[in-house]
Formats: sequence, C-alpha cells, structure tokens
Amino acid sequence: MNSHTAERPIEILIVDDNPGDVRLTVEALKDGRVQNRLHTAKDGMEAIAFLRRKGKYSNAPLPDLILLDLNMPRMNGSQLLAEIKEDPSLKKIPVVILTGSREREDIIKTYNLHADCYVNKPIDLEQFIKTVKSVINFWLTVINLPTEVK
Amino acid sequence: MSQTSKTHQRIAKSESITGDIKQSKELFRILFYRSPIGTYIIQNGHFQLVNRQLAYILGYEEDELIGKPSLSFVLAEDRDAVRENAVRMLKGGGSLGYEFRIINKQAKIKWVMETVVPIYYRRKRATLGSLIDVTERKQMEERLQQITAEMQRSNTELEQFAYVISHDLQEPLRMVSSYTQLLAKRYSNKLDADADEFISYAVNGAKRMQTLLHDLLEYSRVGTRGKPFSPVNCEHVVEQAMANLKIAIKECSASVSYDTLPTVIGDEGQLVRLFQNLIGNALKFRQDEAPQVQITAQRRNNIVTFSIKDNGIGIDPQHSQSIFEIFRRLHTREEYPGTGMGLAICKKIVERHGGHISVQSQPGQGSTFYFSVDTAGGESA
Repeated sequence: MNSHTAERPIEILIVDDNPGDVRLTVEALKDGRVQNRLHTAKDGMEAIAFLRRKGKYSNAPLPDLILLDLNMPRMNGSQLLAEIKEDPSLKKIPVVILTGSREREDIIKTYNLHADCYVNKPIDLEQFIKTVKSVINFWLTVINLPTEVK
Repeated sequence: MSQTSKTHQRIAKSESITGDIKQSKELFRILFYRSPIGTYIIQNGHFQLVNRQLAYILGYEEDELIGKPSLSFVLAEDRDAVRENAVRMLKGGGSLGYEFRIINKQAKIKWVMETVVPIYYRRKRATLGSLIDVTERKQMEERLQQITAEMQRSNTELEQFAYVISHDLQEPLRMVSSYTQLLAKRYSNKLDADADEFISYAVNGAKRMQTLLHDLLEYSRVGTRGKPFSPVNCEHVVEQAMANLKIAIKECSASVSYDTLPTVIGDEGQLVRLFQNLIGNALKFRQDEAPQVQITAQRRNNIVTFSIKDNGIGIDPQHSQSIFEIFRRLHTREEYPGTGMGLAICKKIVERHGGHISVQSQPGQGSTFYFSVDTAGGESA
C-alpha cells in the first residue's frame, strides 16, 4: 500500500477545455476518500505554463497526477503528453488520458507516447463518477507515486 | 453410254461448276460489300480491297482508300499497339478483337474493334481484317466509370459525414445527458412533481439519443473503419458471437446449433457482429417457447450462403425489405427496445463482403435470414 497520509493533499491537474467535464470530475471527487486539490488548465499551453511555473503559475505545485483530455485547441493532448514525457523533470508524473475518443489510433498513439493509462469518459453519469473515482483511487492510494518517494 | 452423251454430260457438269462459281462470287460480293462490318484486305500495309462499311467508318469513298497505308488512319499514339496486336493475332494468339482509335476524314476520333486473319490474296500473303465502330459503347463505358467513381466518392463522403456527426455530437450530448442525470440525482423529490417528470423526460431523451448516435457511429464505421480482409473460420466467428450473447442465451434457455461452417475471406470482427446481431434478434423476437436457432452454410462456386433459422415471432413479408433500412423498427420501444439499426448494420457488413441479405418469414412461424459472402474475397466499395 501507498504510504500517502494526510500530511499534504494530493495535487491533481486536470487538462480539459470543456468546463462541463472538469466540473463532473470535481463532482466525482467530492466525496472521495482522498484529500485532493484540483487544478485545471484548459489546453496544452496552459498546462505547460502550470507545470513549468511560468507567469501566474509561479507558485504552482508539481502535480502528483495529470488527467489529460485529447481534443483541445492550440496544443492538444498528445502534443502535451509528448512534451511532458520528454522533459526529465516532468516525465515521472503519471498521466491518465481521460477522453471521449474510443479511436484505436488515439489509444495506440498515446501509449506509444508513454501515457500511463487510457480511460474513456463513460457516457453514463454514474459510470463516469465510478470510473473517475476508481482511477484516482488506484493512482493515489494503491500504488506508490514517484512524487512521494523520498 | 455413247460418246456423245458423255460429252454432253461433261459440258453439263462444267456448266454447273461455272454456275456454282458464279453463285459463290455473287454470294461473296453481297457478303463483302453489304456487310455491316467494315471488311478489308491489306497487303504490305496498304488497303487492297475495302467494303462500304469500312469506307463509311473512315469517312471516305471506297476508291479513295485503295492503296493507302492502313496505319495512317490509326491515331498516332495507338499505332504501336495496333501493330503488336495484329502481329500476335496473325500468329494465332488470341481470338478476341483489340480496340484502338482511328481518325476519320472529318478529323473525328472514333473507337473501333478489329480482328485480323492471315490469308492469301492474288497468291501473296495478305491480311483480312474486320472492324466495327465501338465509339458509343466506349463512351458509355467511360460514362459508367465516371458515374461509378462519383458514386463511390459520394458514398465515402456520406459515410465520413455520418461518422463525423455521430462522433462529434457525442461530446455535447454527453454534457446534456450527464447534467440532466446529475439534476435527477441531486434534486428529484426536492422540487415539485412536474419538475421530476420534466427531468425524467430529459434524462430518457438524452439516453435514447446516445444509443441512436452510438449505433449510427457503428453503422458508419462498417465502411470507414473496417479491417482488411483475411481468411476467417466461421465456426470461430459463431462461437465468438455466442460468447458475446452468453447471458442472453442463458436467460431465455435458447439453443443455438450450427453445421460445419466454412472458412471465408472477410473482416472477422464484422462477421462476429453480423452473426451476433442475427442470433441476438432471434433471441429477442422469441415466442413463449425457448428460442431455437439453427445456422447452416452452403457453398456454390465462390459464394457461401448462410442461413439463420429461428422459431420466433416472424415478420410480415411486406416488411421483408424495409427492416434492413436504418432506424427501421416494427415495434414500439415498450414492446422491444432497440434503435432499429441492427439489421441495417448487418446489411452494410454483408454488402462490404460482396453479398446480399434477405429474410423469409411468416408472422408466428419463425424467420430465416439468408446472407451470402463472396469467398473470392474482393471487398466491394
């Protein structure tokens, strides 16, 4: 089991251009067991600024987990993923692809870019909540996170 | 017999031979000059004899052509091919005519088909040629090719269109659906009875639209996202389809039996979907008794025809065509749930495999669905 305790909340970065989806994720995590702080970026450029603490993000924490949508304007999900996985200071952060796309090409492509897992946004609300909870639960309580290893 | 009568006989005989020769000359003249096929004799590359029809095709008078080099009427870029084809045919290779373009006197280009045979003419080697004007047929072929290409293009466009809309509409619809569900979850019994009713209609409508879009997307994927064809063992296919339907088969205690099934050339995933939809329908549209489904296959040349026979509620023959159209349903959603896409998807899959699908049925007497697969394995566009 993970050694995570209440000493600090888990930092989660959601990268998604759809505020509706972000809010659903927030709702799904509301009554979760895990103490968390959610940060959002609405496209790849904003996410990069957050991760590299540029501009208004100069005090941003390094996230423990990134939830990444694929279809976004400016810099899309797979471009951002490639950027993260090429950056030695960022590549250890687990990236969960959370997307509406069920395209085979998207799945293969993102795994080839070292995505840590690929999850479809379920169409049904209950399923969506369940899925988000189990993903967060797995990454934040079951496994050992790289950001927590002393 | 006397000498005189012998002489008489000889004369009579020679007169009858002369008569025969005269008759065949006349016959030849009529055949040659009146033939609706352009006919001619070429020696050393030049016309020696031509008939009226050839002169008509080339747009000249007959005597204008005599002594002219025959290749000079052939379109320059076709001359080499004509020479090669003629030589091959004169050596006895191939009995089909070859096609090329000529230019007539009015500088009009026409398509013709020629056959040639070697003959002796005035004791020297010569070529007897016959030629017909195939311009109209060629133009029709070209037009047909154009139309086919246009149809394929517009089909592909339509498929792409269906794919894009069904795919892109899912995102906003997921929002409508999620938030109406969230409203229902959080506020049912907290507002008034009307609000509960309205919300439940919105939730159900959004859910239904999701299944419609999902099925439309699947339908458009048959053409746009199909896998390349490979040999597929149909027994494995039926087993996979049955495994996918395991729960439904158990629930209604159905028995599904199948003969020895052949290997065909196709898209395995799509063939599984095809059998799954047809077996699934047999279970869904059942009567009171437990469903019995029998699957057989018959091969005839390259075509394998499968039949899926059930003991279900059957279909009125007047609907036997329309059931394969998209979103076509014969029952209310309360009687039988579904979007009416299942058989449309089946039809699309069968057509991609170069086959046809049909049904034979009477209400109350079960249905037998037939579909064929062309095992020669050409994917149809």
